[in-house]
Amino acid sequence: MIAELIEAIAKILFVFGVNVGFFAPILGWVERKQSAAMQDRVGANRADIFGFTLIGLLHPLSDTIKLITKEDFIPAGANKFFHTLAPFISLTPALITFAVIPFGGQYEIFGHRVNLVVADLDVGILFIFAFASLATYGVVLAGWSSNNNWSFLGGLRAAAQMLSYEVAMGFSIIGIIMVYGSLKLTEIGAMQADFFRWGIFLQPIGFILFLTCAIAENKRAPFDIPEAETEIVAGYFTEYSSMKFIMFWMGEFLEVVTISGIVVTLFLGAWHLPFISNESLLSLFGFAGPNGSIILLMLTNIATFFGKIIFMIWFQMTIRWTLPRFRYDQIMKLGWKILLPISLINIFITGLVVLLK
Amino acid sequence: MSYKSNYIVGSIPLDRLKPKRVRKNIELTLWERLYVPEIIRGMYITTRHLIINLIGFVFPPQGKKRKIFTVYYPEEKLTIHVAYRGRPVLVQREDGKEKCVACGLCERICPALAISIVGGERENKERYPVTYTLDMSRCVYCGLCEEVCPHEAIVMSDEYIGLAEYDRKNMIYPKEKLLVPIAKLKNRIEYVRKIYGKSNYEL
Repeated sequence: MIAELIEAIAKILFVFGVNVGFFAPILGWVERKQSAAMQDRVGANRADIFGFTLIGLLHPLSDTIKLITKEDFIPAGANKFFHTLAPFISLTPALITFAVIPFGGQYEIFGHRVNLVVADLDVGILFIFAFASLATYGVVLAGWSSNNNWSFLGGLRAAAQMLSYEVAMGFSIIGIIMVYGSLKLTEIGAMQADFFRWGIFLQPIGFILFLTCAIAENKRAPFDIPEAETEIVAGYFTEYSSMKFIMFWMGEFLEVVTISGIVVTLFLGAWHLPFISNESLLSLFGFAGPNGSIILLMLTNIATFFGKIIFMIWFQMTIRWTLPRFRYDQIMKLGWKILLPISLINIFITGLVVLLK
Repeated sequence: MSYKSNYIVGSIPLDRLKPKRVRKNIELTLWERLYVPEIIRGMYITTRHLIINLIGFVFPPQGKKRKIFTVYYPEEKLTIHVAYRGRPVLVQREDGKEKCVACGLCERICPALAISIVGGERENKERYPVTYTLDMSRCVYCGLCEEVCPHEAIVMSDEYIGLAEYDRKNMIYPKEKLLVPIAKLKNRIEYVRKIYGKSNYEL
């Protein structure tokens, strides 16, 4: 009982710490530096402690200090309650959805069974979708309650865009559910031990569809019309400052991590290394004794999973800094006229293949 | 439009910057309408830049191979071209006196009314400015004073640092602050003669 409690607390602290303590601040740095390198610039490199700039790594820290000490401004005529509530609704789903994503398999250590997922739900994918769509409320509330034209337009656009892509995203994932026959993310992950059984090989179209819809859900470029700087200032969070602004910012970055986590779990073989099975890894780590080898295997799997997540983050950042923004009508056309029919055809073909096999 | 082959923009020869092919048809081909291959092509280009620059961060390439042309300003400064119009200065002769004869042409032409002169005479009947005040908070760096001056007594220098002040009173420059020895301004005076056709004046 106590062992399980300790295990649960350790897992929650690990996931929370990795997300909020590592990924959220480091992504601000990655976004600046990577975009700079891609555009032949230098990037943020001035914040320093005693002359050490650490290639701009201190900028997230100085940003945080600056934003915390700033005035928390609520515009006149804004709905104070919803204006304050919106960033929380926007940030919470990004934190919660990572709870059902497994970052490792199941291991027997000292007779105790460790399952490396915070909440091993039977309806894992549905849980993610349910909470991801809650983020829409945060954005819409932020846009509506700010009493600002730009925010209002941003909120409207966000509502239309996120609801449209929710549909295609839901359909794009059905193929993978049919192939693996499970909604449980730990089971889907465990089934991808063989390299050629990874989701990306069984569902290549589903992968592209899901990634596109997920980026659109996250409102990042090329789907960033809700916060299009050149058109509507900052969109739905124009009127936010201080910590509330950070929360929107962090929510966006954490959603990048969460999307990477879902993509890795569903399509990129979760915690499995390509061509190297867990058994051969176990025999490789045989020198550390029965328990030590399992712990080493667990650490390798966790490292593999987060390595893949970092790769997917890099991939999304590259997309974000490569593609120009879609127009509003183009986004709607892409969502309803292209992605939705393709995802339906994908479901049909997958069903046919599964049935005939 | 013809390009000189030796004209260089940031180390890339200009003929390499020219577009290779102009596409007249606006209709997209099927390959482009599929969108995903074109995304991959675009990502290949940006990723190539990323990797080249990441290697460049570790082993910075020098000279013409340098890709990032950001100037780290306070540590690194650009060499200013002679045509640059910086702070206007008064030319100081070798004997320490100002070249200005207080004719008042610059005061007259100054569009921002930044210059005010009080003229006087020396013992040898030579005219000189008793006070020459330049209000730097009004100066627009147009260079008209330099153009109109018949004695090459006021020229635009290449100084652009330290001109900002917290107090406007500090921005009113007296004659002593404006005087610069002629040896430092040789290049600019030569340039001024060339562009304004002042070659008939003696130095």
